[in-house]
Amino acid sequence: MMDITELEKKAGWVRAQVLDMVGGMGGAHIAPSLSCTELLVSLYHGGMLRVAPDSLNPDERDRFILSKGHGCLGLYVVLADMGFLSFDELGSFCQDGSRLGAHPDLGVPGIDVSTGSLGHGLSIGAGMALAARMDDKDYITFVLMSDGECQEGSIWEAAMFASHHRLDNLVAIIDRNKLQATAPTEQVVGLESLPQKWESFGWEVRSVDGHSIKDILLTMGDIRSRQSEKPLAVIARTTKGKGISFMENNPIWHYRVPQGDEMEQARQETRI
Amino acid sequence: MRNAFFDALCEIAVHDEQVILLYADTGALVLDEFRKEHADRCINMGISEQNMIGIASGLAMNKKIVYIYAIVPFVMMRSFEQIRIDVCYQNLPVKVVGIGAGVDYSTLGPTHHALEDIALMRSLPGMTILSPSDDVMAAACAKMTYEIPGPVYIRLDRTGEPLVYKNGAAFSDGLSLLSHGRDLCLIGTGRMVHMAQQVAGELTKHSIDAGVIDLYRIKPLNKEGLLKAIGDSRYVATLEEHNVIGGIGSAVAELLAESGKTCGFKRLGLPDKFCQHYGTREYLLSQSNLSMSQVTDTLSKWIIE
Repeated sequence: MMDITELEKKAGWVRAQVLDMVGGMGGAHIAPSLSCTELLVSLYHGGMLRVAPDSLNPDERDRFILSKGHGCLGLYVVLADMGFLSFDELGSFCQDGSRLGAHPDLGVPGIDVSTGSLGHGLSIGAGMALAARMDDKDYITFVLMSDGECQEGSIWEAAMFASHHRLDNLVAIIDRNKLQATAPTEQVVGLESLPQKWESFGWEVRSVDGHSIKDILLTMGDIRSRQSEKPLAVIARTTKGKGISFMENNPIWHYRVPQGDEMEQARQETRI
Repeated sequence: MRNAFFDALCEIAVHDEQVILLYADTGALVLDEFRKEHADRCINMGISEQNMIGIASGLAMNKKIVYIYAIVPFVMMRSFEQIRIDVCYQNLPVKVVGIGAGVDYSTLGPTHHALEDIALMRSLPGMTILSPSDDVMAAACAKMTYEIPGPVYIRLDRTGEPLVYKNGAAFSDGLSLLSHGRDLCLIGTGRMVHMAQQVAGELTKHSIDAGVIDLYRIKPLNKEGLLKAIGDSRYVATLEEHNVIGGIGSAVAELLAESGKTCGFKRLGLPDKFCQHYGTREYLLSQSNLSMSQVTDTLSKWIIE
């Protein structure tokens, strides 16, 4: 198992790989991917997520749904690093004939659900958690959502359902970077108080520094042992575009790839 | 028809623990029976149809065969995107059971009418569409939906009588040639099949030899079987309790146009406007020229001319 320092380095490495993947593409969701890098590394490399390409009985594995499907760049890198995909295949991202597109597809090893339209993942995750309950299995279902996604009504339908049915094997992680595609969330349809909303829907709510692997592992360390009948919502305070200074907190980078000097600067900033 | 379908499904669920039924706060006595038999596998999802499809998908991705049930517009229009992506794109064993075909809920207004459902479901890759015409077929559809591996939409009526079929009838081709007509082939679906039979009887008084086809599997369309059943009828008409756009009228029109077959063709169904009437079903249909006598009149004038 990697220690905190190694995991932090891994997150930095993932960011650099993300830039390599998109190369000279005209558009890609780089910034949304960078805000959840530490979360993904904590889940996969940090061992919170009980998955493996071959060794684990697929029925017993934990489920992971990237409900904010547009943030999949980092997930592809992590899956390659975990052995689900080859690194060669990363180079095919969005190329003709590739199965790696800008939103994750069920046919890709390691991807549990096809996503790309916001607001679907939590219901599907709740369904998986319910299946685990019905089948008396102890896997946990994780759903990584964006904060803007919480503007979708379907999220709250799922939230009500999950708490009503006491799905304590369901963990929603909200990537709270406070930006959506066009503007800050609080200027479009304000979400605050987001923790209170989730609490009022019957969830246990925790807050975490989404870029501190130490804090993430500590805050979520007891997901398998916590004594609660409530599903868990982890609101991760993050920065969109984290790691590339000119992208951070800037809405225009939602679906934009740095060019020329910008790319050179981005590479320097993410170089390990 | 609902009772026939769910009674048969209840029996299937006895033998397969993976069968789950979700419903969106839509009551029926037959559901109470299902719930009594299989309480742990029958869940009232509340008034949250989008969530219902998502939950169904999550369950179906974990080896369950999931039936979801509500009034047609709520179970499949409100949550169309979830059906499109979560169910069809991922090709999951989720069976969408809609009650209230056409203007079945004739006193409840256009929010409860199902005039666009066939059009919507036809456009989804991988979706099978079943439209039973009576209780016998509805009961058989329970097994059919169970045996089809992927997504299914079944369009149920609250009324399943008078019967079109005898008990024990087998359904495998997606259509039944109920009678052959030298002059006219009248293709109906759902409860309109019974009306089609009545109309065919009336048309003999106008010396028009009309036959009837029950098109119960709208997608995938048995194109070869349908063309063969139409045979050499000089006129073909479709009859459905659905908008004339996108339903079986459109499906048959597409088939005929591409087959190169020469024949007169007419679609009979609800016009392209919302049905703003309240009253009996017969009244609503008559307002759209779809009573039995009106259909007979329309067809006889068309053919005679």
